[in-house]
Amino acid sequence: MKKPLSLTLFKLTLKKNWKLFVIFFGVLTMYSSVMISMYDPENMQAITAMTEMFPPKLMEAMNFSSGFSDLTGYLASWLYGLLMIGFPLVYSIILGNGLVAREVDSGSIVCLLTTPDSRVTIILTKALYAVLSMVVLMASICILNMVISQAVFPEYFDSDAFLQLNVTVGLANILALSISFFCSSLFNTTRYSLAFGAGIPVMFILFNMLGGASDQAEILKKISIYGWYDPLEIVSGAETAQINLIYIGLIAALLIASVLIFKNKRLPV
Amino acid sequence: MIKVNHATLTYRSGKGVFDLDFKIGQGQVMGYLGPNGAGKTTTIRQLTGFMKSDSGSCSINGLDCFHKAPAINQMMGYIPGEIAFLEGMQGEEYLKYIRQVRGLRNDHLQKKLIDMFEFSPKGSIRKFSKGMKQKLGIVAAFMHDPDVLLLDEPTSGLDPLMQNRFIDLILEEKKRGKTILLSSHMFEEVERTCDRVIIIKDGRIVAKSDIKSLKSAQRKVYRLKVKNPLVAMQSLQAHGFEVKHLEQVIDVTIPGDQIGAFVAVLPQLEVTDLDVKSLSLEEIFLHFYQKEDDDEKAIESDPV
Repeated sequence: MKKPLSLTLFKLTLKKNWKLFVIFFGVLTMYSSVMISMYDPENMQAITAMTEMFPPKLMEAMNFSSGFSDLTGYLASWLYGLLMIGFPLVYSIILGNGLVAREVDSGSIVCLLTTPDSRVTIILTKALYAVLSMVVLMASICILNMVISQAVFPEYFDSDAFLQLNVTVGLANILALSISFFCSSLFNTTRYSLAFGAGIPVMFILFNMLGGASDQAEILKKISIYGWYDPLEIVSGAETAQINLIYIGLIAALLIASVLIFKNKRLPV
Repeated sequence: MIKVNHATLTYRSGKGVFDLDFKIGQGQVMGYLGPNGAGKTTTIRQLTGFMKSDSGSCSINGLDCFHKAPAINQMMGYIPGEIAFLEGMQGEEYLKYIRQVRGLRNDHLQKKLIDMFEFSPKGSIRKFSKGMKQKLGIVAAFMHDPDVLLLDEPTSGLDPLMQNRFIDLILEEKKRGKTILLSSHMFEEVERTCDRVIIIKDGRIVAKSDIKSLKSAQRKVYRLKVKNPLVAMQSLQAHGFEVKHLEQVIDVTIPGDQIGAFVAVLPQLEVTDLDVKSLSLEEIFLHFYQKEDDDEKAIESDPV
């Protein structure tokens, strides 16, 4: 093999997908800023009172909790419990499907396949763009939150713990993205690519919510990729190395499988 | 040189192409013909490396089409039957991308081709007409001066003037020693460019021929309306013509060299109407094939 990645194709992929990135970056920036601005260390009762207005099971399903006092715990529960996995998941589904299956379905991937770039180069470059864009999305939101929090409530914010949280949630999001990407590489039509590439990770989010809401359904949380960590426990100092490694292993396995499948499959274009 | 060696590719539906075996030498243009669903695109998919043959093999200039596709793409140009471009791209942007990814240092050939087809790649491809998309596809396929060309109905959507320009382009490339596979529905295009022709039906090659014997075997069907069909039938049969009596009309099949004799008979028949029934390219080739079969000429003996 000559070269595993193509800079020209990477630039083209960036050109085609940067708008999608900007939209999700904008939405997450807005939610993060609103969340931090709502935090009032002098008046945590106000937040507690607000949670009590909703059924407690609903709050648990959303991963919202009142078992914290500082800003880090507040963000872990209110921002990273659902929003920071839900929005990135929508991003992953759109991006994952668009990068491969949609181009195969429309036949436009011919424009790439008939260049001197090999199939491996094409799929690896697209996978790299997908993963890198998620890393940049999570990292930029993380840095943004850290800068604002440090500036406004430095005494209520634990940067190290927050960083740990972002690494684990980021890996969970990359795993969801890898599932979408894998389905996109496996199926030749957007119909199946979306049915599985969106269906499976959305199911994981629902399992995580259901598992959080009911003790009987706790097993659902255990089998959901989003239920393998507890945001509040991570910011309280829980060990994350093991779970992070599991995420990395699964991401690598899915991406390698995507490359192998795309390298050998029949492309009906 | 394009070499297809007993290649078979079966889809789950049971369709596919079976035991294809042919060669196209350097400087040759091979016509590739067959009805819809015959397996033309499936053949080309194996040559472009989009699909791997289940058995047998395909190679271009000695390189395996599936495993060495990137190296082949360096010297091959391909026009797909249904062109789809990358979403949201401008025409110029696309050509620039192809130049970059192929490592082309200049756009001389691109400019020459754009002039030749009188078109402007400016603007969003999505808004291009069918003909403009086709022209863009032609420019993208030819602008790296490829040695081998796979052309799947390359002139669809082009007006007659541009179709002629394309034929000129093919002839010029042929002179320069290119190896070309041309799938087409247009007799003129095939007649003017191809040395030899393959016809495929239901996934199998049913005929291989050089274009000269094909042309001499070309026949036309004349549809007559006459006052007295029975008399006319007898008269035509007496002259040795192949006739078929349909409800209102008589179809007479005339080989190319007997048209004079046919015209001479006509005045005696009290003709009220005369029409030429145009044969599709496939019909022409299938007639030819049947003729060969009748003569019990083995197709295999054809020096293909």
